[in-house]
Amino acid sequence: MEIIGFLVIFPLLTAASLLVVRSERARTAIVVAAAAIIMVASLALAVLYLPAEPVFFSLNAVLGGDSAGATDAASAAASTAASHSAALAPATLVTWFLTAVSALICLYIIVKAARANKPFALFLAGLQLVLVLVLEFGVGHEVAISYDLYIDRFSVIMALIIGIIGSGICIYALGYMRDFQHHAEAHPARPVPGSPDAPALATAAAGTPAAPARPQDRRPLFFALMFLFLSAMFLIVFANNLSWLLSGWEVTTVCSFALIGYTRTREASDNAFRQIVMNLAGGLAFCVGLIILVGSAGVLELDKLIAIGSTAEGLPLVALPVMLVAFAGFTKAAQMPFQSWLLGAMVAPTPTSALLHSSTMVKAGVFILIKLAPTFGWNASGMTVVLVGGLTFLFCSGLAISQSNAKRVLAYSTVANLGLIVACAGVGTPEAVWAAIFLLLFHAAAKSLLFCCVGTAEHHIGSRDIEDMDQLFVRMPRLALLMALGMLAMFIAPFGMLVSKWATIVSLVDTGNITLLFILAFGSALTFMFWAKWLGKVLAVAQGGANLEKTVHPSEWFALALMAVLSVGCSLGFPWLSQLVVEPYLGGVAAALGDAAPITAAALAAAAGDASATIGSPATNSAWSPTADFAAISFDNLLIMALLAAVLLLVLLFVLLQSRRTTGNDTVYLSGVGRDFEKRDFINSLSGTSSAEQRNWYMQAWFGESVLTPVANIVCIAIVIIGFALVYLGIGGVL
Amino acid sequence: MSLLSFFVALVAFVVLAPVAGCLLAGADRVISARLQGRVGPPLLQPWHDVRKLMAKEDRALNGFIGFYVLLALLFAILAGAFFFAGGNFLLVVFVLTLSTLFFIVAAFSARSPYAEIGAEREIIQVASYEPMVILLTVSFFLATGSFDISAVLSRSVPLVVSLPLVFVGLLFILTIKLRKSPFDLSYSHHAHQELVKGITTEMSGRTLAMVEVMHWYENILFLGWVALFFAWASPVAIPVALVAVLLVYFLEILIDNNFARVKWQAMFTWSWVVTFACCLINAFVLIVFF
Repeated sequence: MEIIGFLVIFPLLTAASLLVVRSERARTAIVVAAAAIIMVASLALAVLYLPAEPVFFSLNAVLGGDSAGATDAASAAASTAASHSAALAPATLVTWFLTAVSALICLYIIVKAARANKPFALFLAGLQLVLVLVLEFGVGHEVAISYDLYIDRFSVIMALIIGIIGSGICIYALGYMRDFQHHAEAHPARPVPGSPDAPALATAAAGTPAAPARPQDRRPLFFALMFLFLSAMFLIVFANNLSWLLSGWEVTTVCSFALIGYTRTREASDNAFRQIVMNLAGGLAFCVGLIILVGSAGVLELDKLIAIGSTAEGLPLVALPVMLVAFAGFTKAAQMPFQSWLLGAMVAPTPTSALLHSSTMVKAGVFILIKLAPTFGWNASGMTVVLVGGLTFLFCSGLAISQSNAKRVLAYSTVANLGLIVACAGVGTPEAVWAAIFLLLFHAAAKSLLFCCVGTAEHHIGSRDIEDMDQLFVRMPRLALLMALGMLAMFIAPFGMLVSKWATIVSLVDTGNITLLFILAFGSALTFMFWAKWLGKVLAVAQGGANLEKTVHPSEWFALALMAVLSVGCSLGFPWLSQLVVEPYLGGVAAALGDAAPITAAALAAAAGDASATIGSPATNSAWSPTADFAAISFDNLLIMALLAAVLLLVLLFVLLQSRRTTGNDTVYLSGVGRDFEKRDFINSLSGTSSAEQRNWYMQAWFGESVLTPVANIVCIAIVIIGFALVYLGIGGVL
Repeated sequence: MSLLSFFVALVAFVVLAPVAGCLLAGADRVISARLQGRVGPPLLQPWHDVRKLMAKEDRALNGFIGFYVLLALLFAILAGAFFFAGGNFLLVVFVLTLSTLFFIVAAFSARSPYAEIGAEREIIQVASYEPMVILLTVSFFLATGSFDISAVLSRSVPLVVSLPLVFVGLLFILTIKLRKSPFDLSYSHHAHQELVKGITTEMSGRTLAMVEVMHWYENILFLGWVALFFAWASPVAIPVALVAVLLVYFLEILIDNNFARVKWQAMFTWSWVVTFACCLINAFVLIVFF
């Protein structure tokens, strides 16, 4: 319990101190120390709670002197009852504080939107403000909360991702942002002619028209936002009280808004507002969902929502709230048609992208969907989630082929993989959730590695275009191999990501989900295409390139190494992660669902207005039997994969050791008319010199954004609308 | 798949597959020659070719090309061993993909204009056949209730009875996998329709020998997939599967000699269309009627 408080509050305090400190030295010290402390605290959390069964906490009970924690339901209920009489109970205070935070966020966005002349964002933020207050002081006020916080194995995994990868990215940002600032000072952003630039730049330019504006050093804000992000994410993964979770949700939205708009260019500002509009829409859906949930089932807790939703009798009560929260998950996880905000987020400095894509923000979206998985399955909301996720995977894998900008390829790949996770959550069986959790874990490790590699490469070769990464292996051997490792970890067996995809196939076959199987089969082929051609470019070898990686900042190497170790380590430890962590988690969920009968009965009684009814022992979602086999792949096969991963690791190490030996005893074949074989120059038909250029294939006519995006958006919007209609009309509760 | 069966299969595959693959390649060349009205080389010509390649001076642009090709060869062998040991079908497919990836990386690492074109085409080929391969494993599960290859041996009827259309789909992409015209975009044995030597342009001597041997191994593995459709719990299955495999290979030779190479667009579109139609209809029939 204390450790949750620490993980939420400590990054918050770090953020506050970073905001004040202006000296780069002090900032470096604070960031490194804080990141180290957060990593250690996450590990301590893992040591304490990974072997344990899920624990639920009531803040009042714990702070009210019950040192044993609130594992005893009766005492928790008693103290909750007590808290209603005493308005100043700790949990109430926290709720008020978080409500104030939500309200302030809305006000902040209203002010920003008014200044930037974005009426739609202003409208959404205003609506959100009203709804947050309605939820807190109108409907949610009377709902008794048994447990505010919880820790189970899944939230421990999430905490490790946030605590280790997230903090690692903060350390990476130290070196990266120094280069970034130097670059910004050397090339001050020029206001676009004829168009009003961001307010700050415009005034700066107007104030000192003669001298070019020296860009303000906004790094304190940048680092403060990064840590604030971590704090909000910790709140999301530990909150059982849904209104607390919503507050954390809103904080991540506004943090990414500020981070995307960091450079204050017009493009950055536009993209930040696109992000905020989409995520406010999601936040609104979340808020409305909670208000309906209180009205229909009388609960405001995540575990109760899941317990009710996983039974045939209870599902109709919570189907609409579940669908609304799932919609919020779509927006946050940038599922189609909301993928454009995550692509727009690429204007931000690379550590922001790494953070958004790997350990925070989008992971909050898939986290909530995975939590809700027992309520999905063969029902309307489950099918909507499966189809949106699956089609997002298919279309975004195709779109990634058409991109030569490395960051956009990564962005589409992120959206695609999130789509796969979302689809697995929608399938809703333990095996599918097993696959979803591993996809989430491996994606976090590999994608943070890739983003950081691209960021570092960009600062040293001056481009983020894949074509310019030709022969990166010669110019930056270590970086190129780390990048290659990240790519292999993303799309090829024996690394975890593909093994999880294997598990996805198994779970889909088991549930007879033919539609998604086809989507997966075709989408995977596209995935291979865009990774393989990028990998080929990076590993191309030619002689005589200058080594450019001597100036890479040590903090960047540290973070890259950390993420590489995590990627490989998780792949090597896959069999045991499954056996010792994820399978027990799923068993715990199944057991909890099995015990959920009283909650559902109470909710049904409340909905029927009959307080004395205690009948009914609802049948839980049949897939979640406590005796089910939770692993989709046998331990032996996982072991084979882990062994192969070790072999591939040795291969990469060998290639690294040989990386200086780029010369052979032959020259490249240029049809017998070669002139300079290293530059691939040849004698052309006029006896002049031409150079053989070979670009990767991008197949714009097939996979271009103008071809696929409109189709994908229309299809996905239609699916979401149909899904909502079915849920609202109560059709297809359980098909 | 026990450890013992794996090692037995590994040894058997390592030793026997190249022999069979070499004879098959020799027969292929003899039959192709007869179809074209030539006498053709002796049956053991592929063996003599590889021996000659092994004896050549070792010339290469860099050391990585040969290293990556070696990895491709080793993973292809491993995939074959998993298959013939009766292991998990998806495991076989994934290890084989790993082998193909290293072959592609080998071509890219040469940084040669011709090899790069070959590599890009190889990538398109993978994207063309991969959906069928994955759906093949899925259909296999739908028919047998297991992803283990060995499950097919306890069935009372051959797989082709349950999965006729999936078999047609497999035949279609088999042309790509066996590197037969019209789908031999990245690497062809027909000099008249090849860009220099495609994906292997910068491979010579031992490296090229390894590519040839890998091709033998792969061909046997793919014909193993064909045999899978004609295997069931009966001793009669062995001659039946053998005849079926030989007929299929003869069919591929006929196709190879009667079609000119197509553009990638045609290969990609048709592979996906055939895959989609065959697998969907077959899965539907299986689920509804069985």
